[in-house]
Amino acid sequence: MIVSMNEELKSFQDLAENYATKELAPKREENDKYPFGLFFSSALAKAHELGFLSVTLPEEAGGIGQDIGALCVILSCISTADGSLAGIIFANSLAQEVAIKAGETALLAELASAATAEGSLLAFPAYVNPLDMDSFIFAKKKDNHYFLTGKLDYLTLGGLSSKALIPAKIQGQEDYSFFVINLSSAQVIKSEPIFSLGFHACPSVDISLNNVAAALIGEEGKGALYFEDAADRMHVASAAISMGIMKGSFDEALNYAKERFQGGRQIINWSEVKMLLANIAIKIKNADITIAGVCRAIESNYPDWSLYSRAAALQVQEMACDVTIDGVQLLGGNGYMKDYGQEKRLRDAKQAQALLGLVPMEKIRFMKKLTE
Amino acid sequence: MVLDSEVKDLLAKFPKFDDTLLSLQYAPRLPKAMVKETKKIIALARKFNQEVTIPYALELDRKTHEDHDFLPWDLIKKANEYGWYSMWIPKVFGGRGMNIPSCSYALEEIGSVCLGIGNIVGVHYLGVMGIICAGNAKLSNMILHEVAKGEKTGNPCTLSLCITEPNAGTDTEELELINKGKASCYAEKVKGGYVVNGRKIFISMGHVAQWTVLYAYSNLKKPGSNIVGMLVKTGTKGLSFGRHENKMGQRICPASELIFEDCFVPDEHVIIDKEMIKKFTNKPPEEIFMKVIDYIVSISRCAVGAWGVGAARGAFEKALKYAAETKVDGKLLINHEWAQCLLSEMYKNIALGRLSYIEGNYANSHRGIFEILQFKPLYYYLKYMPTVFFDTFVAPFLKFDAANWLMSKYFLDMQPHADQLCTSGWASLAKFACTDFGTKNALLALELMGHTGLRQDRFVEKQLRDAKLLQIYEGTNQLNRVNLFKCLIAPVYPQASVFEE
Repeated sequence: MIVSMNEELKSFQDLAENYATKELAPKREENDKYPFGLFFSSALAKAHELGFLSVTLPEEAGGIGQDIGALCVILSCISTADGSLAGIIFANSLAQEVAIKAGETALLAELASAATAEGSLLAFPAYVNPLDMDSFIFAKKKDNHYFLTGKLDYLTLGGLSSKALIPAKIQGQEDYSFFVINLSSAQVIKSEPIFSLGFHACPSVDISLNNVAAALIGEEGKGALYFEDAADRMHVASAAISMGIMKGSFDEALNYAKERFQGGRQIINWSEVKMLLANIAIKIKNADITIAGVCRAIESNYPDWSLYSRAAALQVQEMACDVTIDGVQLLGGNGYMKDYGQEKRLRDAKQAQALLGLVPMEKIRFMKKLTE
Repeated sequence: MVLDSEVKDLLAKFPKFDDTLLSLQYAPRLPKAMVKETKKIIALARKFNQEVTIPYALELDRKTHEDHDFLPWDLIKKANEYGWYSMWIPKVFGGRGMNIPSCSYALEEIGSVCLGIGNIVGVHYLGVMGIICAGNAKLSNMILHEVAKGEKTGNPCTLSLCITEPNAGTDTEELELINKGKASCYAEKVKGGYVVNGRKIFISMGHVAQWTVLYAYSNLKKPGSNIVGMLVKTGTKGLSFGRHENKMGQRICPASELIFEDCFVPDEHVIIDKEMIKKFTNKPPEEIFMKVIDYIVSISRCAVGAWGVGAARGAFEKALKYAAETKVDGKLLINHEWAQCLLSEMYKNIALGRLSYIEGNYANSHRGIFEILQFKPLYYYLKYMPTVFFDTFVAPFLKFDAANWLMSKYFLDMQPHADQLCTSGWASLAKFACTDFGTKNALLALELMGHTGLRQDRFVEKQLRDAKLLQIYEGTNQLNRVNLFKCLIAPVYPQASVFEE
């Protein structure tokens, strides 16, 4: 990746590539069976041990205090092998970013000190911008304590972690706030892991709350502010996942095209196959340079960097959906089978595109920001 | 004004009038009863969806993820009870004899809910056409009567078609490619039949079919001139099942590996080979084999196109319902202008796709294998004569070699080459256009529905998984683009060649 041209980020790339190759790639098909197979706890534990669950978390909160570039490098390398773990890291990092914006470093430090990977995770509704939500959980305030009641769909990591960061509206207020709840509370009912299109091993659950004690993070009614600030940075991280998926799809297709014969020739020697491969490679190169540029813009606080971050996500995610469709096609019937990673990459690319909210609404928000 | 004497020459210029505007030319020739018959078929498909497809689709898809070896025996019984397996078998062969184009509309209906269940109904006809299109009246009569009997007794008799091999997918559908490719399923001629050795993969309904229509090769060095079509009954010594393929979608319909090890097939179960071709024509065998393949894929690709439209429709219907019921940013999605434009785009994809497979069906009906069945006097004769008449007076005649000769001569020797190109080209167009629309609409529906659409229990993610296979089977969409070029464009320029770069 171009973003890892500097030495420090190159070491993160080597670390993540090594991890993905050894821990994820060999068991990709098996890990993808979840929720009908076992969860890849040992791979998650290893990721925790390597610090992948706290890349952008400040050192004072127990993290490794890297900027967004390091997170992008790690997410891209990991999703080249298996998007599910990238989904876990992303959802957790997004929750951390929101909490950081709200100034909740103590909570994050507590989580970071957990002995297990699962214990350090913070569940979060990573696939929705709360502004687009049709209905909210309601928070009742009593003697400076908050109690939440209502339903929330598709809480990512909700089946794994002990705590969740969720949006809710305090009675009588128009704007939403963020609260931390304990998922092991008896007043929390969780569904079974939701069987979804992609990221099978990054499960989400539906939750139902009945007067659950909750802790407000930051200030009342400031949820949208915290989320949008966090999303500004995390959009480019979601683009990095999509780029990794594209890269995995290209590598697999290229290898196959060299080995597979049609009409007595390696299929790579048919010009239409070359055309498809070239289209994929060109998209990856463009995604790479786009993400690198956005990371530099964020790190140097370039004016309007948030627009670049959001534009990168919208563009690269769409590219990944197109690329992975062709990635399956290049392998023909074999690409459609679970023996190769291509069908999973197609599913994961579409799953990744849904991160952070409805794409058309994201575009409308982008225009609003652009013209403000 | 144009002179009458000029018209013929002007219409023969590219694009030829004969090869375009097919519905304009052929709709007036349509027997009126076909419309009423087609309406009834569509209504039946909708009833089948209400009673079978909708209640079973999600549950069984989930079941296949829990238990990879699951086989849909109950569903096959249900399809058999509805009469789907003999619905489009001509009455002369014991079937219900519904007009064959109506199959596309039924497949679109069922595919709009579940392509896997659509495949359980439809792929059986790939096997049926694998016999009929080879011009073998004797075996068509024998095996298709067995299908009809299976319906009466409640013990389904379904067929599968075995063509794809581990090292030859696309190659098997083009003789120019297979001659240079790696065909490996070998049928050795021995006294009284053939002995088959080799493997076939991705065979839809392989594990559950009672008979498989197998296409192998009696000379692996020049397979395109040495195709052998055979019927092999499940349970025959030397035929076993390998892996049950682990697919992304259409999981309810199993795809199988079939292994042939010294499997003896008697001469009476040989559908077509070089020696049989010599009995009705002097044309080179490869020309006749290509005609058989083109007949089969011209039908199957239109059917896959109909599934593509079904997929596009299913995604649209789910997205529309969601948009009509869900508020985003304070108002119903259906009232956001961008959502209205997106839904219109999806609707357009459905309408254009349907028009293309209808044109493909017109080509098949008037220039291809269905031609004789759409000839009005024969259509009405077949429609209104009771089945018992055909069983009593026609079926015995079909057991003679003369029936084979007549059927082969008519279909395989006498079809003009221009008609073969027209039907094959239009089928390819319909196949890749409709299936691209199917995948596109599934992607658009997911974009509109966000994380809600990603859940298996909301249907749309399954529709994307299912739809993607349509772009691959019956020849990848890339092969179909090349075939369209070969059939409808290249003839204009003699210097144009395909598969030779």
